[in-house]
Amino acid sequence: MIEEPYRWVEAIANRREYIETQLASGSPIAAVGYREGVLFLTLGQARQKLFEVYDRIAMGAIGHPGDIERLRMAAIELASTEGFTRSAGDVSLRRLAHYSLSPVLKNAFEQVYGAPFLARMLFAEVGAKPEEDLFLRVEYDGAIATNGATFAQARQDFAVLSGTGKSTELMESFLKIEHEPGAPFEAALKVALDAWSIGHMTLKNNDAKELPERAALTKHRVEQLAVAGIEAAILERDASTAIRYRALSDEEVRASIQQ
Amino acid sequence: MEPSLVALEQSFSGASEDFPALLRRKGLLSPAATVNPTARAPDSRERSWKPTEATTILAFKFSGGVLVAGDRRAISGNTVVYDRADKVLEIDRHSIMAIAGVPATAWEMARVLEHSFQYFRRTQLQEMSVDGKVRALSKLLRDNFGFVMQGVGMVVPIFATYDFNSKSGPRLYFYDAMGAQFEVADYAATGSGSPAVRGILYYENNWGAKRLQKLSEDEAVTIALRALDTAAESDTATGGVDRSGKIYPLIKVVSRKGITTLPERKIAAVFKQTVA
Repeated sequence: MIEEPYRWVEAIANRREYIETQLASGSPIAAVGYREGVLFLTLGQARQKLFEVYDRIAMGAIGHPGDIERLRMAAIELASTEGFTRSAGDVSLRRLAHYSLSPVLKNAFEQVYGAPFLARMLFAEVGAKPEEDLFLRVEYDGAIATNGATFAQARQDFAVLSGTGKSTELMESFLKIEHEPGAPFEAALKVALDAWSIGHMTLKNNDAKELPERAALTKHRVEQLAVAGIEAAILERDASTAIRYRALSDEEVRASIQQ
Repeated sequence: MEPSLVALEQSFSGASEDFPALLRRKGLLSPAATVNPTARAPDSRERSWKPTEATTILAFKFSGGVLVAGDRRAISGNTVVYDRADKVLEIDRHSIMAIAGVPATAWEMARVLEHSFQYFRRTQLQEMSVDGKVRALSKLLRDNFGFVMQGVGMVVPIFATYDFNSKSGPRLYFYDAMGAQFEVADYAATGSGSPAVRGILYYENNWGAKRLQKLSEDEAVTIALRALDTAAESDTATGGVDRSGKIYPLIKVVSRKGITTLPERKIAAVFKQTVA
């Protein structure tokens, strides 16, 4: 099969379709930068989806738990050994994703006789200022999307991850309008929660072309908050401590929403 | 980054490996020194390099947690090489390792230990228990013992931490060079000046104005400064308080809130009032 180029392309396309189907039900994750740090937020606590990677790096992931676990472990190993042999300042998300994770993912994806990684990951590295925050979405095939300025888009202080392309797209267009870099925590929390709701609504109704009405969005958010647990974590910008990651409890987040 | 760091192991199991093992697998940490039973430590007269634990480190529990103090002198033979050495090291938010011994080995151990705790929390998604932390240091000392037998790299630390899962709260341990750990109820001291310090702490705890555990922070600092100054009086390897250079011992406190490093001006004020 693999000797013929066409077959190979077909095999890759099938594999892509298979993985996309598997990931399609994953609960969205929104990551937004705010004045004092970076916030990761998602709903549903069946399985932990947000993780600490290193002092200033965190990740969120959807996919198969076994694959997420292997990638998470690899990321922690790489960051920890680098931080140990050199220094914590030498650990960078850019190098971790581009030089280490991406080639491994691409390799596994394109070797059609082996198993690919069933995972989609969202990484963030908190900077000294909101403009220095780095967000990377790493796909199962090794593709990387960044928050940096590209030809068609300005630099953003947020990133999202969801089960489908449509859902991701709508979450991004919502945050592009609503999210203000350097916003206080409460505002960032609210906008992240709304972005999650939009992503989640779009997963249910994949024909959605544009952002839902405000009222429908609020209704969905309230409904979901009533039934699902909140999982959230922050990377603090405050440079006085080395370790910036802190998981927020469900109660802690709900208390902030009330205000 | 070396290409070998990139490989993902298929047979991998996250739970089976601690951080030193990971470093060894990647060739970033030398293997545990083997103890050769037929080899003898060279006779002290033949030694060109004397293993010392020349310093004084002390720790005791007081009303505000555990106080850990160390002098600042580093020596090589008879020479003072450094008078601002930091021998009281923070390992994580609630743990301190204070070291007497060879600095190169001790600082490397502290670095491995610090990363071990973080690595465990990040991979296993839970904080390492106090017993696990105490044991991790014990294992590092044990791995190093071959070097101690060869006459290099002796380290004798004190470990102070706060235990959220026990009623006792602050906990204090000292070690021997082979890695045996001893939990103490009140105080610990190590290094060449420790006999004097141990005497003072024993006396204060039994016949002093108050038991050590009842002391306020200022009273505790007073005792620590007096003890280090006494040790320095007869032990040349201990810096004590450098009155002319205004160099004070390093004092840190472990409590429920975390670790506080006492500011030098506070130590200086207590020193002026109650010691000098």
